[in-house]
Amino acid sequence: MSNMNLPETMIEVVDLHKRFKDLHVLKGISTVVKHSEVVAVMGPSGSGKSTFLRCLNRLEEPTSGRIYIEGVDIMAPYIDINRVRTEIGMVFQSFNLFPHLTAIENIKLAPMNVRKISNKEATERGMALLEKVGLAEKATAYPEQLSGGQQQRVAIARALAMQPQIMFFDEPTSALDPEMIGEVLDVMRNMAKEGMTMMVVSHEMGFIREAADRILFLADGLIVEDGTPDQIFNHSKHKRTIEFLGKIL
Amino acid sequence: MADPKNSETATGLSDLKDKIGHIPIIRRNSFVYGFLTVLILYGVFLLPSRGSSGTVDLGRIALFGVLLLIWAMVVFTDELKSEKMKTTMVFSLFIIAGWLYYRYSTARWGEMGFLFFNVEMIQKAWPTLMEGFWTTLLLAVGAAIMSTIVGLLLAVFRSFNNAVLNFFIIAYVDFFRAMPIIVLMMLIYYALPFMGISLSAIMSGILALGLNSSAYVSEIFRAGFLSVKKGQIEAANALGLTPIQTMRLVILPQAFRVVIPPLVGNYVASAKDTALASSISIIELLKAGLSQKSLLANPSPLIFVTALYLAMFLPLTRFAGYLEKKMKASQRQVRL
Ligand SMILES: Nc1ncnc2c1ncn2[C@@H]1O[C@H](COP(=O)(O)OP(=O)(O)OP(=O)(O)O)[C@@H](O)[C@H]1O
Ligand SMILES: [Mg+2]
Repeated sequence: MSNMNLPETMIEVVDLHKRFKDLHVLKGISTVVKHSEVVAVMGPSGSGKSTFLRCLNRLEEPTSGRIYIEGVDIMAPYIDINRVRTEIGMVFQSFNLFPHLTAIENIKLAPMNVRKISNKEATERGMALLEKVGLAEKATAYPEQLSGGQQQRVAIARALAMQPQIMFFDEPTSALDPEMIGEVLDVMRNMAKEGMTMMVVSHEMGFIREAADRILFLADGLIVEDGTPDQIFNHSKHKRTIEFLGKIL
Repeated sequence: MADPKNSETATGLSDLKDKIGHIPIIRRNSFVYGFLTVLILYGVFLLPSRGSSGTVDLGRIALFGVLLLIWAMVVFTDELKSEKMKTTMVFSLFIIAGWLYYRYSTARWGEMGFLFFNVEMIQKAWPTLMEGFWTTLLLAVGAAIMSTIVGLLLAVFRSFNNAVLNFFIIAYVDFFRAMPIIVLMMLIYYALPFMGISLSAIMSGILALGLNSSAYVSEIFRAGFLSVKKGQIEAANALGLTPIQTMRLVILPQAFRVVIPPLVGNYVASAKDTALASSISIIELLKAGLSQKSLLANPSPLIFVTALYLAMFLPLTRFAGYLEKKMKASQRQVRL
């Protein structure tokens, strides 16, 4: 938990809209994420949670609105988006490890090719990260030889290897068997403790209650509620939120 | 099988099997072996002598063949006969058919060694055959290199999903897949010089083979790219890899694995088409064999050429099949 209330703004989103042809998915989202803040994004299926995250590193091109990452307007025409993305680690529901590379090679790929650090240094850092997620002995295993939970932990290490300022997680545990969810959440909990700025789409109530500073509740492309886990879980007055929480509890 | 409840769904063949199944085994066996004895006796005493070709003789041979087939069908439809016996029977049938042909055809079997496997003739033809061999190899390798480069580029451009670009690429692919290679060769070698574009015969051959093959190669690579999941590209992008790095480090290595078996198959197919180059005055392997056959008045060089083709392509075809099997096996292992 990192309630140090750092004044520094990490992410600022102003009136973000996203349309897929006729489908208006995000209808004007504005919010601010501070340094070291852990923000959980919740909401019913199809409410636009994934789209929201993916717009923030422009994996999805926003239709309109402004996005500032550490004060930099990433919608500006001259911006080098790949440069911005190196500051934002992303973890996907389906892991998306590179199947032709071993765990350690997956981790080293971006540091060596994007950050241009040497193989030796990348290997050292990569091994340290694997240690951190508890998979040092799996360094030379290929993704297909790892369980889902192990793959997801390697994916987290891969994202961390770029030493990002921010981490995005899009339902990192929903593709996992129940007995593997804990090991991934543990890694995420540690990152939160270490002060990483995180945005997490997840419905893991225990994790959110414990690790999140704030919850954004999305419905129909809008933030319908924004508050601490206690406010949202125990004192929500919004019909949509109560209805949704009733379903997943 | 003999379950009466199933009889409605049974096909004609299994009906027949049912009926045979109801005939007592002793009676069926005595029929089968009795028939066989008759066949053997027929073969020994009633088949005409070697080389006969009168109408009556032919009739007797034909009758023998028909009886043989009837017997074979009786055994084959008998469910109680073992798999091994049926296999033996099928093979014997082929051997007997071959023997009948050998015995009654007017082919000059006795001279086969001299005609087809004449080492002396092959030695005489050797220098020309080797020249032909190298020419064929040059055509095949040249076409393979050209088609790989062009096909890969086309597939990469295709992956940009630009409507205008796609239109031209699809037109290119369709055109060269529809165009017979031999026509293309003749166009390049005999028509283009009128325009002042003169290519050597070899270059024309490589160009025609390469253009044709590149159309297929581009489709193979396209399928390879499409087999790489969208999540892979997203993960690469999210890490800050540029589109070119993503292509080089993430998409190509994965696509190559999928692509290699059909690619090898395509190279073999294209290499087999090198024989068409004889139509534009190139003396490749087949043409070399043919010309030596005429010169020496002996077909041994052609037989040797056949063996050489097989020696080249058989291992490659096997290899492609092996790769395909290996790839399918590894695909089954991949989770999610
Ligand atoms: N590339 C796309 N093209 C068209 N429509 C899309 C695309 N991506 C998402 N959508 C649509 O946008 C809406 C929001 O999708 P999104 O994936 O953001 O929802 P979500 O809140 O993450 O849902 P879930 O909980 O199921 O993951 C859905 O209706 C979805 O069908
Ligand atoms: Mg989603």
